[in-house]
Amino acid sequence: MNAKSPTLPPIPVKTGPGRTVKRSGPVPAWGLKLGGVLTTLGVFLTSFGYAGTHLYVTDAPLQPATVAAVATTNTTTAAAATAVPSTATTTTTTLTTTVQTTTRPAVTVTKKS
Amino acid sequence: MDLVFWEIARASGLAAYAALCISVLSGLAPRTQALSFLANNRAVRALHDWTPWIIIPAALTHIVALLLDATAHIGVLDVFVPFLTSYGQLAIGLGTISIDLLIIVLVTTWMRRRFTNNAWQWWHRVSYLGFVTMFLHSMLSGTDLTSPFIAFLSWASAIGIGYYALERLGKALNPARIRA
Repeated sequence: MNAKSPTLPPIPVKTGPGRTVKRSGPVPAWGLKLGGVLTTLGVFLTSFGYAGTHLYVTDAPLQPATVAAVATTNTTTAAAATAVPSTATTTTTTLTTTVQTTTRPAVTVTKKS
Repeated sequence: MDLVFWEIARASGLAAYAALCISVLSGLAPRTQALSFLANNRAVRALHDWTPWIIIPAALTHIVALLLDATAHIGVLDVFVPFLTSYGQLAIGLGTISIDLLIIVLVTTWMRRRFTNNAWQWWHRVSYLGFVTMFLHSMLSGTDLTSPFIAFLSWASAIGIGYYALERLGKALNPARIRA
């Protein structure tokens, strides 16, 4: 049976002069657009979640000026607190309360026995 | 509340980078077959023409969040004029330049009919410079780029785009094409 069956010609690999036929993917334009939106939104939401759990990144390449100033102040204060003995007069730390008095009448009444 | 703006600024910065990657890659794809496994050139071109609608919201969110964030100390002038900030002048200035270049590319694209095709193509090639400045901005100032996973994705997408940009350049400089 095999000997009598006609031999089929080989399937041409190339069509045209030196050109390979490439099939494009099946995704339509609206699918690509939807994919673009979902990718961007996905990156935003994932990054937002990551930023929320990693608020303070100490090894970030850029630190705003205020953060850098606070960091410098804290370092200086910590160094002074550890290095200067209690008898030294070079550094004095002044503690002030943040609770302030007011002239307004009280809004609550304390029960008197 | 201020930390929310800071988180939004970080997240929208990465989202803008992702959107720009999609835009540049879809712009390169018709000549390089980079996305031929996904769709035909007509669909990829439609995606590229549509990408401003994902880049603009992401970039605007990034800018507005940084303006509202009290710790970043970014003023309105810093958004458009580079190297004016009190800290990180190069890192933030590169972001400003990328915004300026993005505006140039978008405006010239919307005014395309007023240019000759050759002139418009030269204006549009500014987007490569915009992508490079945005990549450098993200590398030099991106807080989340300290994460190995995010850094890997950012580098991988940039290397991929760089590869296809070189392939496109090679095809553009192909002597056979020039002779034809």
